[in-house]
Amino acid sequence: MAYNALSEAEKVFILHGIQDDFRNDGRSRRDFRPMELQTNVIASACGSARFCIANSDILVGIKPEIDAPFPDKPEEGKIEFHVDCSANALLDFEGRGGEELALEISNCLRITYASPFAFDLKSLCILPKHQCWKLYVDILILQCAGNLYDAISFAVKSAFYNLRIPRVNSALLDGGNVDLVLSDDPSDCDRLDVQSIPILLTICKIGEHCVIDPSIDEEICSSSNIVVGVSRNKIVSLKTISGGSFHPDTIENCIDLAISTAKTLDNTLMNILKHEESLTKSKKNIKCSFLN
Amino acid sequence: MLTNKVFIRKNKRGNVLKIIREHYLRTDLWCGSCCCIICPHEKHDLILAENPPSKSSIFKEPHYLMVDTNVILDQIDVFEEDVISNVIIVQTVIDEVKHRSSAIYKRLRDILTNPARKFYTFVNEHHRDTYIEREQKESSNDRNDRAIRKAALWYQNHLNKSTKESKKPKITIILLTDDAENRRKAQEEDKLVSCSVQTYVRSLSEHPYLQDKLCIKEYASESDKHPVYPPHLTVVQMHEGIKSGKLYQGSFVASRENFLEGSVNVECFEKFILVQGREALNRAIDGDTVCVELLPENEWTCPSEIVLEDNENDPIVETIEEDENEKILKESASKKQEKQPTGKIVGIIKRKWRQYCGILKPNEIKGTSRHIFIPAERKIPRVRIETRQAEKLYSKRIIVAIDQWPRHSRYPQGHFVRALGPLGDKETENEVLLIEHDVPHSKFSQEVLNCLPSLPWIISEQDYKERVDLRKIAICSVDPPGCTDIDDALHSRLLPNGNIEVGVHIADVSHFIRPGTAIDKEAASRATTVYLVDKRIDMVPELLSSNLCSLRGNVERFAFSCIWELDKNANIIATKFHKSVIKSKAALTYEEAQLIIDDKNKNDDIAKSLRRLNELAKILKRRRTENGALVLASPEIRFHIDSETNDPIEVAVKQLRETNSMVEEFMLLANVSVAEKIEKEFPEHAMLRRHPIPPQTNFEPLIKAVRHQGFDIDTSSGKHLAISLDNIVKDDNPYFNTMLRILATRCMLQAVYFISGTLTRSEFFHYGLAAPIYTHFTSPIRRYADIIVHRLLAACIGADSTYADLLDKTKNSLLCNNLNYRNRMAQYAGRASVALNTHLFFRNRSEEVEGYVLFVRKNALQILVPKYGLEGTIYLSGKNINAKFIYNEENQSQQCENIVFHSFDPVIVRLSLDSTNVQHEKLVFELVKPFIEGFSIQSNDNVMEIDETPQSPTMKRKPMEEAVAVGSGKKAGNKKKKK
Repeated sequence: MAYNALSEAEKVFILHGIQDDFRNDGRSRRDFRPMELQTNVIASACGSARFCIANSDILVGIKPEIDAPFPDKPEEGKIEFHVDCSANALLDFEGRGGEELALEISNCLRITYASPFAFDLKSLCILPKHQCWKLYVDILILQCAGNLYDAISFAVKSAFYNLRIPRVNSALLDGGNVDLVLSDDPSDCDRLDVQSIPILLTICKIGEHCVIDPSIDEEICSSSNIVVGVSRNKIVSLKTISGGSFHPDTIENCIDLAISTAKTLDNTLMNILKHEESLTKSKKNIKCSFLN
Repeated sequence: MLTNKVFIRKNKRGNVLKIIREHYLRTDLWCGSCCCIICPHEKHDLILAENPPSKSSIFKEPHYLMVDTNVILDQIDVFEEDVISNVIIVQTVIDEVKHRSSAIYKRLRDILTNPARKFYTFVNEHHRDTYIEREQKESSNDRNDRAIRKAALWYQNHLNKSTKESKKPKITIILLTDDAENRRKAQEEDKLVSCSVQTYVRSLSEHPYLQDKLCIKEYASESDKHPVYPPHLTVVQMHEGIKSGKLYQGSFVASRENFLEGSVNVECFEKFILVQGREALNRAIDGDTVCVELLPENEWTCPSEIVLEDNENDPIVETIEEDENEKILKESASKKQEKQPTGKIVGIIKRKWRQYCGILKPNEIKGTSRHIFIPAERKIPRVRIETRQAEKLYSKRIIVAIDQWPRHSRYPQGHFVRALGPLGDKETENEVLLIEHDVPHSKFSQEVLNCLPSLPWIISEQDYKERVDLRKIAICSVDPPGCTDIDDALHSRLLPNGNIEVGVHIADVSHFIRPGTAIDKEAASRATTVYLVDKRIDMVPELLSSNLCSLRGNVERFAFSCIWELDKNANIIATKFHKSVIKSKAALTYEEAQLIIDDKNKNDDIAKSLRRLNELAKILKRRRTENGALVLASPEIRFHIDSETNDPIEVAVKQLRETNSMVEEFMLLANVSVAEKIEKEFPEHAMLRRHPIPPQTNFEPLIKAVRHQGFDIDTSSGKHLAISLDNIVKDDNPYFNTMLRILATRCMLQAVYFISGTLTRSEFFHYGLAAPIYTHFTSPIRRYADIIVHRLLAACIGADSTYADLLDKTKNSLLCNNLNYRNRMAQYAGRASVALNTHLFFRNRSEEVEGYVLFVRKNALQILVPKYGLEGTIYLSGKNINAKFIYNEENQSQQCENIVFHSFDPVIVRLSLDSTNVQHEKLVFELVKPFIEGFSIQSNDNVMEIDETPQSPTMKRKPMEEAVAVGSGKKAGNKKKKK
């Protein structure tokens, strides 16, 4: 995880603060930092979102392409995640510095989305055995202030909510070749059901206590982190990061904590997304986002 | 202000791309009206008049017109008229027109760029106030309609504001649209003035002729009328049908003889798919790409052998009852055995409508505006048009465009485009000929003329150095009289070793026409010079064809020479090719050359040279015939033209002299030698000419016809055929053999150009000449193929450099296709020209001549008249014919009482021009001898008298008939050199 210079005294101070349920930015152990969300920020992508938790800033764009499904899963589409750590986010990402982290995050997302509870890949099928959509999810980390997993999962879910796949009017089969007829109306699109799309929650064990939404300093102080993927009250993935070990009881506690937090967060996120959509609809032509 | 345009596109790999284009909206686009005081116009922007005079009877106030896309697409003919001015064309319309039809777009651009027309382009798509975005669930058409309405509304408000302030007369915007929904929305939602084009054009009471140019497309439903035709399938249905193999796609070819028959050429079938009957044809027009469904095998039939002409007299009332014609067709087809795949057309994939020449059919109902147009091309159905100037047009050749063919209409609907000129006028008729045969006949453009060398043209020292100097040699040319484009000359001289040197010198056209220049492209597109009876349409400008390239007598000219050393038996000892400078000693005609040869007293160089050539040519010809070259015949005639009226005054069959054959033999020899040379040097890229061996089935009519005369003919090879043709002679019928040769000619396939790399060696064979390899080298002035061959040969001998396109197989194959097409068309045009002149010749005269029965048809006899090279039909059955003929299919004969007609039987027919119908003059064939009561006409020595008594009963009850264009006008595929 990202290196940040902290002295022993500072670490102890953070540790003590968490023991007293009073973190050094004033939050309690179960509090999130303020979040910001904007969808449809990249015009050339079919779905996009920008998500910030405090200073962690994530930009996600989704582009669908046509591909052939895997022979063993003829009725399923494909998703590919790609994470790019901008050197602007952390000095450590310079050069190939961010590659390892990027791979770690994209693998985690892949495993999470592969769960049958998490995402219905069948919705990406065009013509079984022949053609399906392959979604390229490109994630760009613009700034890093801790808790990347959570921020990224929210951003991806928002981008999925925003995703509009061109509608295929008809797909004809001709000697193995598929001929697609697309709708000529750009607003005539298919949307995906995002209810079950999972979010990731990082539970950070600092000392004897678990906190959520760790800041970058807290991440340094933690002995170990656990990332829980939650989709509609179900655990779809579990992953520990940055060494350290967990007692089974702690894991159980962490999972409970994750599920209860995820439930409220997911609801809030969905409400915000719907609200945002209604806002942009009413003032359609006014474009003022951070990209344009 | 910036906005984005979003499209979704599929790329070649099948991926779906979302494309974003930045789209800037501006505030500095002006309205272009002179009455506007708001916009800061530049002077040149002010296009629309300040106070446009109204010519309309409905809209009396000054107005500007605004149109939607369909109006431009359908009615461009109307908008090209000067009457319509002060029109605003919005960007949306221009873009859509460009997308839908590039031809109409070009015409629209021409109108827009002409400031006198007062057509203003308003860039509404970039104007801040008129740009609209497509709404969800809105089709792009609806969006465009809305954009046009929005622009119209903006204009109306803008102009109102302006005229109010300046206290000028108010100007209305009239939105012309044929879309009822669009009109309704404009009137109700936007409070605009809107009407259909028809309404508007009708209201221009001072310009009634404009109405004729209206394209009548009915947007209303067709349900109220009973449909004549079954519906076409939708594009998607056809697409699926073709993919699943139930339907086939192919190009439709209408039958020339029978308007209820046609065939579809489908790639995967060996034979054409036959289509018979009005419903099965289902509105396909010759040339269309159609979708065809095969009928079950028990419904297959074969082509009927009858000649049918559409004589429907009642154009207005339509019935779906099966008419008589269709009955005849069914009866005749059902009996035959040799059935072939038969189908019905279920949809049209692509229309290949063009503009058609023809005439207006006189309408019995006086004063009506609905008329029937009869195209000159027999393959094209009649077209229903509306015109109010019919009286004027009856005596003219006109051009008509087809607009649509709805299900309930028996004929397609079209509109009048323009009149070419008076009927029967030679200029007009020639124009019709050229248009109908797609012969490019416009004047050469300035760009082409710029490629010509400047006069006086002088041969430089450098030229002499690069070329072999043959100026001293006694070269002469032999051509038909009056020939100005002389592209070949000959010489021969004795060599010291006793052999003979023979040279063929061909005009060096490739010296003047350099690859890639405008003149080269033009010549490649024209492909050939077209010879009409009284007119020549040059492939290259006259300066080259009749002067600089033409090997005229006693002037120095560049030539491409092919020099052989021949022994006494005309065997080739050596061949060489080089470019040369020659000075022809004499430009002779065939007749003059013949006289020189025959005149024993003449012993100069030229006379000796010609005699030697003549001797050698005889040997060459004999050898060629022994090899199996065919001597085919076709009736060829020459017209003697009156120098003042330009009308033909006499017809003569072309005479052939020894000298014709002499020139021909050496040209053939040169062509073969060159073909061998270029094929050796460029095995993949040589342009050659082949004449495919006709399939044996082609000979069936010939074999059948001969068998009935008690002869057998062997068609297994060219040689056998040649021998058979020589042996079958009938002493009592001297013309019999010639007719056989005419028939044999019709069994042949067309000779074609091709690129050597595209076929195997065995396919190079030239059947008619019995030559294993052949090309065209000897007439570069009038054939483009020869120019390519010249370039190839020049590259072979290092006299010129090659260039990329010369060795591009694909490009040259495409070029060959064009050459073949143009050659065929030029041939047809030539024949049609002969037919036209024959008509002119028979004006005010009729004649009884000897003819022969060429074919016996089920309902007609086809007669050949050798004297005029004419072929025509005598119908044997019909409404008004009393005599009863019995058709014997077995031995192809027609019997009436005790008179039997077989093929080749001599008859006497009377030829006359049926001028009762001024519009459509027809050459009428009537039987004189043998005499059949109630059918034949009385022989009458006073020919002129008969001509002037049209009340003679036989004249009246004859079915309308028309001389079929001389089908055998020329040899199959220009085998022989001919001017």
